[in-house]
Amino acid sequence: MSTKTKDAINPESQIQNPKSKIQNRLSSHPSHKVDYTRPIEFEFNGKKYTAFEGDTVASALWAAGVRVLGRSFKYHRPRGPFALTSGDTNAMVRVGDEPNVRPSMKLVEPGMAVESQNVWPSLNADIMSLTSYGSRFMPVGFYYKAFFRPKALWPTYEKVIRNAAGLGYVTTDTPDTYYDKKYEFADVLVIGGGPAGMSAALSAAKTGARVMLLDENPYLGGHLAYERQSVDTKNGGAKAYELADQLAQQVLAHPNIQVELNTSVFDIGYHLWVGAVKEGWTNTDPDSIQNPKSKIQNPEARLLKIRAKSLVAANGAFEQPLVFENSDLPGVILGSAAQRLMHLYGATPGKRAVVLSANRDGLQVALDLLVAGVQVSVVIELRDQPDSDLVTVLESAGVPVKTDSIVTKAQGNKGVRGVFVSQAAKELPLSPGGIKAIRGTKEFVICDLLVTSVGWTPATGLLYQAKGRMDYDEQRAEFLPAHLPPKVHAAGRVAGAHSVKAELLEGEMAGLNAAADVGFGKGASKKLQNEVAKLKAAEPVRTSALTYIPGGKKSFVSFDEDVSIKDVRDSVAEGYKSMELLKRYSTLSMGPSQGKYENANTMALCAEANNQTIPETGTTTGRPPFTSVPLGALAGRHMEPVKYTPMHDWHIARGATMMNAGLWKRPEYYGDPAAEVVGTRNSLGIIDVGTLGKLRLYGKDVPKLLEMLYTNKWSKLAEGGVRYGVMCNEEGIVSDDGVTANLGGDEWYMTATTGGVTGLYQDIEWNLQSGWDFDVHAVNMTDDYAAMNLTGPNAREVLQPLTDIDLNNEAFPYMAARQGTVAGVPAILMRIGFTGELGYEMHVPAGYGLYLWETLMDAGETFNITPFGVEAQRIMRLEKGHFIVGQDTDALTNPFMAHLDWAVKLDKSDFLGKPSLVRIQKRGVEQKLVGYEMLDSNIVPEEANQIVVPNPDRPIGLETIGRVTSSRYSPTLEKSLGLCWLPVDQSEPGTEFTVRIRGELHQGKVVPIPFYDPDGKRLKS
Amino acid sequence: MSLKLLKQGLNGSKSLTPMWREQPIKDRYDVVIIGGGVHGLATAYYLAKNHGITDVAILEKRYIGRGGSGRNTTIVRSNYLTPEGILFYDESLKLYEDLSQDFDFNIMFSQRGHLTLAHTDASLRTMRWRAEVNQLQGVDSRVISPDEIKELVPFMDLSDHPRFPVMGALYHPPGGVVRHDAVVWGYAHGADKRGVHIHQLTEVTGIDVEQNKVVAVQTNRGRIKTGTVVNATAGWCTLIADMAGVKLPVETRPLQAAVSEPLKPFLDTVIVSGTLHFYLSQSDRGEIVTGASVDPYTSYSMDATLGFAEGLAGHILELFPSLGKVRLMRQWAGLCDMTPDYSPIMGFTPVEGFLVDVGWGTYGFKTGPVSGKRMAELIATNRTPDLIAPFKYDRFFEGRLVGEKGAASVGR
Ligand SMILES: Cc1cc2nc3c(=O)[nH]c(=O)nc-3n(C[C@H](O)[C@H](O)[C@H](O)COP(=O)(O)OP(=O)(O)OC[C@H]3O[C@@H](n4cnc5c(N)ncnc54)[C@H](O)[C@@H]3O)c2cc1C
Repeated sequence: MSTKTKDAINPESQIQNPKSKIQNRLSSHPSHKVDYTRPIEFEFNGKKYTAFEGDTVASALWAAGVRVLGRSFKYHRPRGPFALTSGDTNAMVRVGDEPNVRPSMKLVEPGMAVESQNVWPSLNADIMSLTSYGSRFMPVGFYYKAFFRPKALWPTYEKVIRNAAGLGYVTTDTPDTYYDKKYEFADVLVIGGGPAGMSAALSAAKTGARVMLLDENPYLGGHLAYERQSVDTKNGGAKAYELADQLAQQVLAHPNIQVELNTSVFDIGYHLWVGAVKEGWTNTDPDSIQNPKSKIQNPEARLLKIRAKSLVAANGAFEQPLVFENSDLPGVILGSAAQRLMHLYGATPGKRAVVLSANRDGLQVALDLLVAGVQVSVVIELRDQPDSDLVTVLESAGVPVKTDSIVTKAQGNKGVRGVFVSQAAKELPLSPGGIKAIRGTKEFVICDLLVTSVGWTPATGLLYQAKGRMDYDEQRAEFLPAHLPPKVHAAGRVAGAHSVKAELLEGEMAGLNAAADVGFGKGASKKLQNEVAKLKAAEPVRTSALTYIPGGKKSFVSFDEDVSIKDVRDSVAEGYKSMELLKRYSTLSMGPSQGKYENANTMALCAEANNQTIPETGTTTGRPPFTSVPLGALAGRHMEPVKYTPMHDWHIARGATMMNAGLWKRPEYYGDPAAEVVGTRNSLGIIDVGTLGKLRLYGKDVPKLLEMLYTNKWSKLAEGGVRYGVMCNEEGIVSDDGVTANLGGDEWYMTATTGGVTGLYQDIEWNLQSGWDFDVHAVNMTDDYAAMNLTGPNAREVLQPLTDIDLNNEAFPYMAARQGTVAGVPAILMRIGFTGELGYEMHVPAGYGLYLWETLMDAGETFNITPFGVEAQRIMRLEKGHFIVGQDTDALTNPFMAHLDWAVKLDKSDFLGKPSLVRIQKRGVEQKLVGYEMLDSNIVPEEANQIVVPNPDRPIGLETIGRVTSSRYSPTLEKSLGLCWLPVDQSEPGTEFTVRIRGELHQGKVVPIPFYDPDGKRLKS
Repeated sequence: MSLKLLKQGLNGSKSLTPMWREQPIKDRYDVVIIGGGVHGLATAYYLAKNHGITDVAILEKRYIGRGGSGRNTTIVRSNYLTPEGILFYDESLKLYEDLSQDFDFNIMFSQRGHLTLAHTDASLRTMRWRAEVNQLQGVDSRVISPDEIKELVPFMDLSDHPRFPVMGALYHPPGGVVRHDAVVWGYAHGADKRGVHIHQLTEVTGIDVEQNKVVAVQTNRGRIKTGTVVNATAGWCTLIADMAGVKLPVETRPLQAAVSEPLKPFLDTVIVSGTLHFYLSQSDRGEIVTGASVDPYTSYSMDATLGFAEGLAGHILELFPSLGKVRLMRQWAGLCDMTPDYSPIMGFTPVEGFLVDVGWGTYGFKTGPVSGKRMAELIATNRTPDLIAPFKYDRFFEGRLVGEKGAASVGR
């Protein structure tokens, strides 16, 4: 017997302490992550249990003898943990108000309430589990083949199906808790804190690179943490968990390494933009800043967004389950899971075990079980030449190691009560096709635990996301990195290394190379590279992609989805032959684990069913996220931006009802909008128009720019002039409108719609930078200027004393712009009028906005100045017949349809939309935007009501010929009026039409616009 | 229990036959359809079923349903904006209602109702516009208030707490979701049964045009003679059109989507918010199926991005604040063939024998049935059916765009 194996079976403190008072727990040991001095009470399905600090929900319940944690998705079979990893979604639970919690990752906290999911009425007596008996009538894809006859019954069937599906539930009162996000930067990002990852981090850090090391567990060490055997390193032998601790200490002490635990990487995007999520702050966490007095709280989860310069994936491998009848029974667990239970949590995995082994790890687990006091009835070894050193130890401890047998079935109701073992019909080793049992050799072995160790699947999902290519390695029966993109490296089990020495050296190599990628050090030496290659080549190989033991009916490839071997074969027989189609039809790999423990087996079975090799079959696309992420973490504090004008608080104080206008808030009205209209028309009003788009344009070619943007002419606009213009897109559709003023000295000032300005500014910039070679500099001043419109017959009288600009009608006529000061504030004034009254639109630096507004309010007091909101403005503009782009126009409106013929100058050499408009003009328009009034002024249509004519062929006997786009009751004219679309031949003033309002028909007639002050006398006076 | 299941249950797997067969590839077909998505397959199906034209091949580069047809979020509705749009989409919806029986295969069309939310008075106006036009066309569609929404969707935050509170919604009871793959497979099955050849792993690499007439297509498996080619390749359609020398006013943009882990039923309707750029429904499996607007760049990449997931989750939680602990399980992307007017391009092109059924953007899953039926009619009769006349290729040269932008953008 080698010293190594002796060491494994008989170390001083490892034999279970017979006086141990804690039931089902092994005596404490340095490898444990649990602290027996700190018990924690928690509940599972209403019953109290005791855990210890460091326990996960899975380990605590296992130690308490609970095997069944939930029911499966389709057949409601009893299920429990089998891997104890993040990929173990076999029996997710509800914790507090959080559904679908992975019990193997969730640390127990005091008072935690854990519940089973997908059980009804209870975990133990689940009625839906009866579906299991009908399973032969519920084959793969059964729902495609039934429930649609008679057609009328499908909704009822669907309800039943929906209620049966789903796992956890959500409630409306779950609070929206606090999540945050953090940006991180690393020269070298290492994923995984196992031997390869820690070694990579250390070697990279030594070059001076800034390293970040992430691990999803609350501890470092990877598989070393749960292993106790001696392992080889380049510095000699060491116990695995001790090596883990030594490395962890070095890593944690290194100033260049930032370690984030409880953090799983789920997304690797272009340019190594990496997403990771950190969860699992607990009340007992020393880092916790859950100080009740402090406002700072630990977030529920934190999203780390990491810009990595180079990356080392050292995120290990998944131990593969073997598929055989009832392999989903609670108590059938992976070898690594047994080690985790014993060595991390001190939990006794069972009393009597059978071990099914196809690699060295399996024999090691058998030894570990013995040491922990578990009786190992037999080791079924699927290789013909198992490692003789370990076999000897086992046999000398009285454990038979059978190399000619297979386990065909696990037996039990809610947990393993025994397994059937038969002699293998074929000679071992196995082919992927599996082997049959020899009839009549079946034997029942009583046990409460079946441990399987048959092989590993590299966790290459993240490498796929990073655009790596994996090739099938026949020797190892694994898909391994074959081509990785620049600055991406892989080391350890994810790269096919299995001995600790190889993992460490490969990690070192990857760390050095990753650091060198970004300018630190020279990279790994040739010698190191050769040594790694040599070590990996010398590792024992897997002789086959062993997948399943044939014969069983309830042999599940997918635990997430209850997909059996037969289902895979049936799917292929029905034509779903490629992996992608198989996946979609059978739902393999579509469940919460996204196939982590089933993809490799699926591939092998799919290959077999198609008579292909595994490489021919290929994999499916690995899609992000690699592990599921809470929506809350992705959202963070989901801040939605909001913009306030400088006068916002004033509006609020004045009792304004605010409305959204794009990202802005605007007063809709302060009181009665009709009174606001009357006040303005009769004397004086003021409105905050700060949300308007505002651009300053500089340069000698501004007129050229304007000629291109607008449909009308600009070159002749003199200094001090303002002009209205319309813009179109390339299809000739009206896209925006506004006014632009020539301020003189090659300076211009443009306004655009609130909603349109961002796009307009982008278009201007895009064109200036990519095509139009103009001497123009454009600045978007939308947020930098406050703007207000003082309007009404008394506007001049109130404003003149405050400004140095001569407001006399001749000096400052309608459609003119002036610069000067108002109340001492530098201002741009434009005499324009959306309201139809004399008006001055004033633009001032935002910081002066409120001051000017208050000054104007004071000055206007004698004239009963009325602040008015958007609603009053809408009424006033409608009385003037002005349209609003986007409300009265739509995605098909060209200027000719909106009475804008005058503003389209097709004789201009070029402008946006010209080619389309030329064509449109030739063709003529079919519809026109016109003004109307209702015959009954008490009837006010809803905007978007349809103008109809009778047509008996239509479903309700009416056909639409137009629609109302703007509609209001005019307090000034005491009429119901608005704008509407009508066919050209029915658009002449006086034409009557029928409009459908809330299902009833009413009459309106076309009238000329403007409705109010048609000659614009008030505007121009 | 269905007879099929009973048989399968009793006889075991022996009774199983492939949904479609692998046929030897011929060197000529009457009609060659490029693209094994719902559009290509439906066209083949109706050619065979309605017109007896069965010498038809589907050429699919990878596997059927690999494009948008297997990646979409399966929303089917007909509450569009323009009368021509509504007629067209409504015929598709009606066809969907009978497809399970037609196929003898359950496509799980779940008419659970469709809500388009309005968060601004402008969008409320557009919803009313759609409702009014829909009603005139006999489509069940109306604007409902926040109180009525609360009844339908108890999980939605209808207070004034969200940044853009919900002001109302367009409610379309017959709208819903379908199992997309089932539609693809059902059409494939029906087409195969009637003699159509479905060739997977067959990539078209060239189109031979002589004297402005299609004579053959080139593939990785050899040359196939034919006088009629249908381009039904959606996100890849300009690449195929280029092979025939036809320019399409189409740009390809990725569209992303995602699902959560499965949950017990809590959401019955389909929810769409144009303002917040997201939509979601809950599948029969219990997953939240969700997506947003097309990516803001042109690309053939089908990679999902972190930024997308972040934005999407933020918007979902704005309206569904109690879902913060629900986990996003899988993300993906597909390609969308966007036209300037958010309407398809269907029918003849300047090259004789080269037909298109493209420009399906973000909304072409729901139109698979009607497009297939009408494209088949066009091929069989050699004239454009009235229903699809508004979508002619020529419209871009005549300035006659279709006005569906408002109703099709985020609405799917
Ligand atoms: C995320 C997402 C969500 C969506 N949601 C909805 C929705 O809710 N409702 C809705 O109605 N629509 C939706 N859509 C749009 C819808 O999916 C598509 O419009 C529709 O599926 C297009 O179908 P198709 O048959 O035309 O093309 P596809 O299904 O894309 O098929 C095209 C096929 O052409 C093949 N191909 C490409 N090049 C070649 C070649 N050279 N040779 C041979 N074959 C080739 C491709 O492999 C592909 O299979 C969504 C799309 C996406 C991406």
